[in-house]
Amino acid sequence: MNQYKTTIGIEVHAELKTKSKMFSDSANNYGKMANTCTNVIDLGYPGTLPTINEKAIELALRAALVLHCKINKVMHFDRKNYFYPDNPKNYQITQNRTPIGIDGYVEITINNVPKKIRIHDIHIEEDTCKSIHSNNKSLLDFNRAGVPLVEIVTEADMNSAEEAMAYLEKLRELLLYADVSDCKIEEGSMRCDCNVSVSKTETYGTKIEVKNIGSISNVGVAIDYEKARQISLLEKGQVLKEETRRFDDKTNSTILMRVKETGNDYRYFPEPDIPFIELTDEYIEEVAKNIPMTAEKRREIYLNNGISEVNVKKIIQNRTISDYLNKFINQNLNLVIASNLLLGDITAYINKYEIPLEKTALTDEKFIDIVTCLDTGKINSKIFKEILEDVMEQDLPVEKILENHGVREMSEEELSEIINKVLENNEQSVSDYKKGNERAIKYLMGQIMKETKGNANPNTIVEKLESKLKE
Amino acid sequence: MSKYLNLELKEINKLLKERKIKPLDLVEEAFDNIEKNKDLNAFITLNKDQAIKMAKDLENKEVDNLFFAIPIAIKDNICTKDLRTTCASKMLENFIPVYDATVIEKIKQHNMIIIGKTNMDEFAMGSTSRTSYFGPPKNPWDENKIAGGSSGGSASCISARLVPLALGTDTGGSIRQPASYCGLVGMKPTYGRISRYGLIAFGSSLDQIGPMTRNVYENAALLNILCGKDEKDLTSTRREKEDFTSLIGEDIKGMNIAIPKYFVTDIVEKEILEKFNNTVNLLKENGCNVEYIDIDYIENAVTLYQIIAMGEASSNLARFDGIRYGYSYENPKNLEELYSKTRQIGFGDEVKRRIMVGSLILSGENAKTYYDKALRIRDDIRKSFLKAFEKYDLIIGPTTTTVAYNLTDNLDDPSKTFLDDILVIPVNMAGLPGLNIPIGFNKDKLPIGLHIIGNEFDEKTIYKLASYIEKTLNLNLNPKGGE
Amino acid sequence: MDKLSKEEVEHVAHLARINLEEEDIERYRIQLKKLIDDIDKIKDIKNYDEEMLITPVTFHSDLRKDEIGSMLDYKEAMKNVPASNGNFVEVPVMINE
Repeated sequence: MNQYKTTIGIEVHAELKTKSKMFSDSANNYGKMANTCTNVIDLGYPGTLPTINEKAIELALRAALVLHCKINKVMHFDRKNYFYPDNPKNYQITQNRTPIGIDGYVEITINNVPKKIRIHDIHIEEDTCKSIHSNNKSLLDFNRAGVPLVEIVTEADMNSAEEAMAYLEKLRELLLYADVSDCKIEEGSMRCDCNVSVSKTETYGTKIEVKNIGSISNVGVAIDYEKARQISLLEKGQVLKEETRRFDDKTNSTILMRVKETGNDYRYFPEPDIPFIELTDEYIEEVAKNIPMTAEKRREIYLNNGISEVNVKKIIQNRTISDYLNKFINQNLNLVIASNLLLGDITAYINKYEIPLEKTALTDEKFIDIVTCLDTGKINSKIFKEILEDVMEQDLPVEKILENHGVREMSEEELSEIINKVLENNEQSVSDYKKGNERAIKYLMGQIMKETKGNANPNTIVEKLESKLKE
Repeated sequence: MSKYLNLELKEINKLLKERKIKPLDLVEEAFDNIEKNKDLNAFITLNKDQAIKMAKDLENKEVDNLFFAIPIAIKDNICTKDLRTTCASKMLENFIPVYDATVIEKIKQHNMIIIGKTNMDEFAMGSTSRTSYFGPPKNPWDENKIAGGSSGGSASCISARLVPLALGTDTGGSIRQPASYCGLVGMKPTYGRISRYGLIAFGSSLDQIGPMTRNVYENAALLNILCGKDEKDLTSTRREKEDFTSLIGEDIKGMNIAIPKYFVTDIVEKEILEKFNNTVNLLKENGCNVEYIDIDYIENAVTLYQIIAMGEASSNLARFDGIRYGYSYENPKNLEELYSKTRQIGFGDEVKRRIMVGSLILSGENAKTYYDKALRIRDDIRKSFLKAFEKYDLIIGPTTTTVAYNLTDNLDDPSKTFLDDILVIPVNMAGLPGLNIPIGFNKDKLPIGLHIIGNEFDEKTIYKLASYIEKTLNLNLNPKGGE
Repeated sequence: MDKLSKEEVEHVAHLARINLEEEDIERYRIQLKKLIDDIDKIKDIKNYDEEMLITPVTFHSDLRKDEIGSMLDYKEAMKNVPASNGNFVEVPVMINE
C-alpha cells in the first residue's frame, strides 16, 4: 500500500521595522494604548489618500534580495476588496499583479542534505487592525492598521513538519539579520499560515489552511496533527473540504474556523491612488550594498576562525553579540577567546544587571586589550573574572584596572626567583619528574602559579620550568 | 441690503482695501441672498456662525489678496473640519470631518470665507443632482428645470449670484455640465492639477476638483490658488508656478482648433448645434484655423466611464459600513446585518445600483473582461487626444447635447444620466482639462455652453479662448437680468 | 422584457453588502440589467492596445520619508464612531476570526 505524502506551503506575514506606517505617517508602535497611534488615513476616513513609506520599500526590497527573488522594477499596488471589520477601508492595499519580488528561494539543510524551498512571491501590504473578542462583541484597535508588512508565499515545496520548521527558522534568521523585521512571533510581528494536504498519489490532496500558530515549534505540532487528522479521515473514507482551521495551543490541535467559499472573490484591481513606483538598478544596488551581513556569512567566518559549532549557533541566536563580534573580524584578534568572553562572562554580566551591552563601559579598545591579554597569557580567566565588573563599569583603560587589582606582569628575575624557591621546597616532585613522572610537573606548575598570584604568563612559566628541570 | 457681491472681485477687493466695505457686509449679503433664494435648495449646510465670526476676525486684517473675505461655497463632498460634510447622503447625514481637505486649507490660507456646503448628487453619482438625499437643487433660469449635476448646488448658487465663487468636482462632467445648464464658467483642470486629498472619492482615477465662477478671469485666478503639488496626494503634480490668467485678453488669431466630428453629430440638439456653429464661425472670422478630426474610441467613452467609475466607486464606497463613522444600523443581529442594513438604508438608489454593478465588474473573471479592457481602451483614447494636441492648440465642442430639462423628466432610465455627460466624459478618460463657457440661450432662455478642451496642463490656453468668447459675446448671464 | 434573475441580483447585492427587500429585487432585476447591457458594449470593441491606463498621471510615485507625523488623539479618533467600548471600537462579534 502506498504511503501518504504530506505537502506543505507556507505564507508568512512579517511586519517591517519602520518608524511610521506603510501608507500614512502615524507611528508603527507595538503595545501602546488602543487607538492612540492612528490618523484619518488609518481609520479609512472618507477623502483620505495613501502615501508611500520609503523605508518600507527599502526593507521589502532587502527581503526580496535575501530571498534571491527577481525584482519587479516597475511595480504598482492593487486593491484587495473584502468586507471585514479589521479592514478599515474594506479594501486592503497590497500587490497582486506586480509583487516586489518573485521566483526566489530559501535553502534549508536537514541532516546535512540541502533543499531549496521556492518562494512564489514576496509582496508589500498593509496590516489590518487588531481585534479582541468577547461574547457577542468584537473590539477593534486601529493602532496596527496600516503597519507595513511583507507577505512571503512559498511554493508547496515542503513535505514534513521538520522541513516546515527549518524553513521558518531560516526565513526568520534571514529577515532578522537583514534588519527587515524583528520577527517576534509572540507579538505578532511574524505570523505563519500553513497549507497542509496529504495524498497517496502525485496529485495534491485537499488543501487545509491552518492559521494562528504562535511559535515555530507549534507549526511542527500543527502540521503533524493535521497530517494525522487528514489521513485518519481519508482512511475512514471521508472526503475533505477546503477549509481554514486555527491552531489551539491548549489542546495542541486544530479547530475549524470556516469552510472556504467557492473561490475567494477579492475583486482585485490596480490602486488608482498610487502611481507606479520605479526601482532603478542604482537604487537596487544601493539597497543591496546596505544589507547587513547575513547569518550564513557570519557562520562561515566564525567557523573559519575556529569558533566551535556550538558557540557559532549561540552567537547567531544573539544578534547583538554577533554584531559586536563582527567589529573585530580582520583585526588579528583571537575570535575564539573573544566569542568565549562574549557568550560567557559578558553575557552573564549583562543578564545579571539587565543592561544592554552598549550601555556598559566596555569600549572596543578595552575589549581588544582584554582578549589580547588572555590570548598572550598575560592574564588568565580567573583574573578576568575578578576585574570584569570594573571593566564593564569604569571608564578606565584595562592596564589601569589591572594595576588597581595589583595585577602586573612579573619581571624575569622575579619569576626565576619564585621558580627556584618552589623547586627547592619540592625536591620530591623534582625527582619524581626526572624519573619520568609527567604528572609531577603539573603539581609544580600549580605551586608556582599560586606564588605568582597569577601575575605571570602560564606559557612563560612552563617554558622556564621545563628548561630549569632539564638543567 | 447692499449689492456688493454682484461686483467683480477686483472691485470688491478695492472697496475692502479702501475700507469702504467690511468683510461682514459681504457675508451678510451672501446669507441674505441664500435666504431669499431658499427655493433653489442650493445648499445642504450653511456655515453661518463661523462665517460671521471669521468676517469679524478679518476686519482688522490686511487685505492681502484678491480673494480676501470673498464668500465661497463648497461642494458637499469636500471635507471641511468641524463643518458637516454629507455627500448629499443619509450615510453621512451627521458626519463631521476631523480634518480639512487640502483645497480647504488653501482657501482658509487666502482668507476666503466658507459660506456653506452645496447640494449635489449623492456621492456625486448623477447628472441632475436629483439623487441628493436633501432633494434637488433648482436651475435659477427656470426653477422647474434641473441644475445639472453632480455639482448642481454649486452651479445653482453661482448662477443665481448668491455667492461669487464655488468649488465643484468633476468625475465625468460634473462641473462642466451643470455650468452649461446654469450658464456659468466651470473648469475641470488636468487630472493631478489640484490635490484630491479630502475629496470624498467616487472614481479615483477620474475625480478632480475645479472652480465654478461667474466669469473667466475669476475662474483662472481661483485655479491659481487651488493648484499645486500636495505631499498627501501621490497623483497631484509638481509643476512650475504659473499664472492661469496670463493669456487672458490676448488675440486668438492663428490658433489651431479641432472639433471631433462625434461632437457635432445628431446626438446634439439642433438649437445647441446652431449656437455652437455660430461660435465656430466667430472664431474663424477672427483668424482661428478650425478643422474637424476623429478621436479614437471617443464614441465608447461612456461605456468605459461606466465600467471604470462604477468599478472604482464600488471599492471607494466600501468603507461606509457603520463602524467608524456615518450612519449605522442600530442593534444589528450580527456583523452581516450591520453591513447590509447600514448600506441598504444609508445609500440611495442610484448609489446602490452603481455599487452593485461596480462590484460585479470587478468580480472574478469580469475584472479582465470589463475593467482591464476599459483601462486599455482608455489609454488609447488618451493617446489619441495627446496626438491631436501635437497639431491643435485646443479642441472644442458643445458641452451638452440638450439644455436643462424638467426636474420630473427621465427619472426611470438608469442609463440616461450617463448620456447627459456623453460630450464631457471623454475628457475625464484622458485626464485633460476642460471648461464650459456660456455661448447663448435657447428659445426658452435656457443657457447653452461651449466645451473647450486643452492639452494636459495647458489650462492657460483654454482661458485665453474662453475669455475671448466671453468678451466678444458679452452675454448677460444673470438669470434675474442683474437688477 | 430582459431581466436579471433574482439570484443574480442577490449575488451582486451580497458582493456589495446591500440588503434588499423583495420589491427592491424586482426593480433591480430590470435596472441592473440595463446597466449591464450598457457595459457589455465593451465586448464589441476590437483592436485596442495592451497598455493599461491605471491613472492618468505619468510620473512615478514620490516616496515619503519614514518619520512620524501628527496623530489623532483618542477622543478625535472616536469622535464619529457609532459604537465604542472603552478605548475600542465595538462591532458585532467577528464570527470568521
